[in-house]
Amino acid sequence: MGTLATGTVVRTLSLALACLALLGQTVVSQAQGSLPQIKQRGVLIFATDPTYPPFEYMDKDKMIGFDVDIGNEIAKDLGLKSKWIGLEWAGVLGSLESGKCDLAMAGVTITEERKKHGYVFSRPYMLSGQEIVRRKGDNRINGPNDLIDKIVSVQQETTGQYAVQKLGVPKDRLLRFDQVQDGLMNVRNGKSDATVGDLPTIKAILQKGYPELEMVGEPFVKESLGLVAWKDNPELIGLINRSLSQMIVDGRYATAYKKWFGDPLTTAIVAELEARKNQGSPVKEIPIETFKAIKAAPQMGGSAFTFRWDLVREALPQLLKGALLTLELTALSLLIGIPSGLIVALLRISPIRILKWIATFYVEIVRGTPLLMQIYVIYFVLPVVGIELSSMVSGVLALSLNAAAYIAEIFRAGIESIDSGQMEAARSLGMTYPQSMQNVILPQTLRRVLPPLTNEAVALLKDSSLVSVVALAELMRVGKEIAINGGSPTTVYVTVAVFYLAMTLPLTWLVRRLEEQWQPISKPRDGARRFGWVKA
Amino acid sequence: MGEGVSSLLAIKDLHKYFGRNEVLKGIDLDVAEGEVVAMIGASGSGKSTLLRCVNRLETPTNGTITFRGEPITPTNVNAVRREIGMVFQRFNLFPHLKAIENVALAPRKVLGTDSVVARRDAMALLEQVKLGAKAYSFPGELSGGQQQRVAIARALSLKPKAMLFDEPTSALDPELVGEVLEVMRDLAKSGMTMIVATHEMGFAREVAHRVIFLDSGRILEEGPPEQVLGAPKEERTREFLARVLNH
Repeated sequence: MGTLATGTVVRTLSLALACLALLGQTVVSQAQGSLPQIKQRGVLIFATDPTYPPFEYMDKDKMIGFDVDIGNEIAKDLGLKSKWIGLEWAGVLGSLESGKCDLAMAGVTITEERKKHGYVFSRPYMLSGQEIVRRKGDNRINGPNDLIDKIVSVQQETTGQYAVQKLGVPKDRLLRFDQVQDGLMNVRNGKSDATVGDLPTIKAILQKGYPELEMVGEPFVKESLGLVAWKDNPELIGLINRSLSQMIVDGRYATAYKKWFGDPLTTAIVAELEARKNQGSPVKEIPIETFKAIKAAPQMGGSAFTFRWDLVREALPQLLKGALLTLELTALSLLIGIPSGLIVALLRISPIRILKWIATFYVEIVRGTPLLMQIYVIYFVLPVVGIELSSMVSGVLALSLNAAAYIAEIFRAGIESIDSGQMEAARSLGMTYPQSMQNVILPQTLRRVLPPLTNEAVALLKDSSLVSVVALAELMRVGKEIAINGGSPTTVYVTVAVFYLAMTLPLTWLVRRLEEQWQPISKPRDGARRFGWVKA
Repeated sequence: MGEGVSSLLAIKDLHKYFGRNEVLKGIDLDVAEGEVVAMIGASGSGKSTLLRCVNRLETPTNGTITFRGEPITPTNVNAVRREIGMVFQRFNLFPHLKAIENVALAPRKVLGTDSVVARRDAMALLEQVKLGAKAYSFPGELSGGQQQRVAIARALSLKPKAMLFDEPTSALDPELVGEVLEVMRDLAKSGMTMIVATHEMGFAREVAHRVIFLDSGRILEEGPPEQVLGAPKEERTREFLARVLNH
């Protein structure tokens, strides 16, 4: 039996690896490419994260903002159409390398670190800086040095996070979120003392809501924002620098600036932008006329994707840590979710109507709303009514409550599938309802629900990735973080996928063994009788 | 209630509705201690429902059932069930438990009997139904006849005063009927009070003290087996017997 099951695992794994290998060979650049290719396509593709006012955000179903206006002007200068792809911030830079876009324009700060990873920056098109936000009147925080012994929220893998880390705030007091707003909400709810983010964005968001928050003085780190391309396309940045310079001179830049930041463009700002010109990557400017003269290239396959083992090796310890947290979350949630699910199931089939209604209501609410929303409610909304829970507790609570609803339905179906003669036989022997349930119905149910329960456990393991929104660095989140900086997101995500398989496959294998163990019949007479359910 | 002193079970004016469908239309039946009553009648005539009303697997709509002079109510039903064993048409053995555990479960859970004692008693009962050798088999490993004998041992496990049999041989292959009837015959000889819903006319004739014929929820005819089965007064009884015996 052991060899058979192991054989299955090995077969499954090798199939999975074969698929991955195939993926590796066929993933080719779709968008990114040399200038002739862009020319041939006729469209300049931008990636951004449209949750970042006033740079880019959604107005109903339309993406608008300062970046969008400037980017569209650049495309116009090059005689191209523009197309904007909205991604999570964590995937924006990675999408350059994977060839999903030509340029990233998302209020990206120019840093030497990012240049080293292979990103090419345009000249600065906007001055920015890291600004501290506190609750109104919180006098403990008056400057960056006051943050060192406080709890600080940041948007993950932003220069804001880097700046706070540089101040010396230890990791356990640094809460990292996917969005700027998450950090602000967290400060308002008192879960952290301050948040740090890009000045223009913080300013724009604070004006729209959050009367409970205020900014602390001037930015404590000065930064410049640039457009980003991948390293194999420096010529594109050369063209963009030319276009930006032209825009600043002919007033189009000033118009956009006034429109989105409210203040007029001063000569001081223009002088500063000019002074910082060299912060961008050193690329040769290309006259736009030259680009327009370039012949469109015939469509080609583009560059092939390479799997980087060095990156895997480097990322392994972090991924292991993330996987451990994923396992921990899953195990705890199952530990709470299975008994709770059983209780809910028993209530749902209970003859007492009010209990039945409560259980049904619970199941319907949980099943009918997204898990992500439930996590948000538990972590961000409960504090408003005075219930404060840590990230870990919130995550486990949300996952267990969610799993309990699904597990309850599994148990209910299992119990109802047991022949009614079983309960009658037990009751006819003078056993009470609880005794009959415990000794006759549930033992049979448990054997029957094992396969769907395994399904639920595997689903839960994967769903646990959603709790990353409350700053829990589980496997998927760690993968995202590494993917941003590592240079090869595909390598990272393939590795993460293998990690997930390494957890789910043994689980399903283990349950299959358990099923065989539990099977009460040693010499089955026929298929149906094997499990002892069929009586005659 | 003015019943005879020897009456163990007394059913008075029992009615049962399923929705608007009246399945039992006023049953009166007294069963004396040690008496074996065979209940015959077409399927759908109410035999099963009558038996299930006695131990309240079905709640009677109207009428009273008294056991040893006490009316059976929802509050004393568990106590009454200990004293009235029931055997089902489809055995209803617990498939996850071995034969001996099937028999020992109720004494352990209901009476709190020590598990060693419960198993010893269970073994004795299995030997009584001639299945000592199969004590450690699961129900799925047993033939239908063997399963029904285990079910009888299980129903005897609480030392009941009376036994209800709901067509105990109807789900069996013909060649397995004999072994079950033999166990029931032994049980009757030992003085057990029994109500048996059955289509086995030979068994009724040989073992029963009294035969009652149920037709559309009423007792149409009752009396000693030789009279009801041999010289029925009612036309309906004759028709039924002709149908059954010609099978």
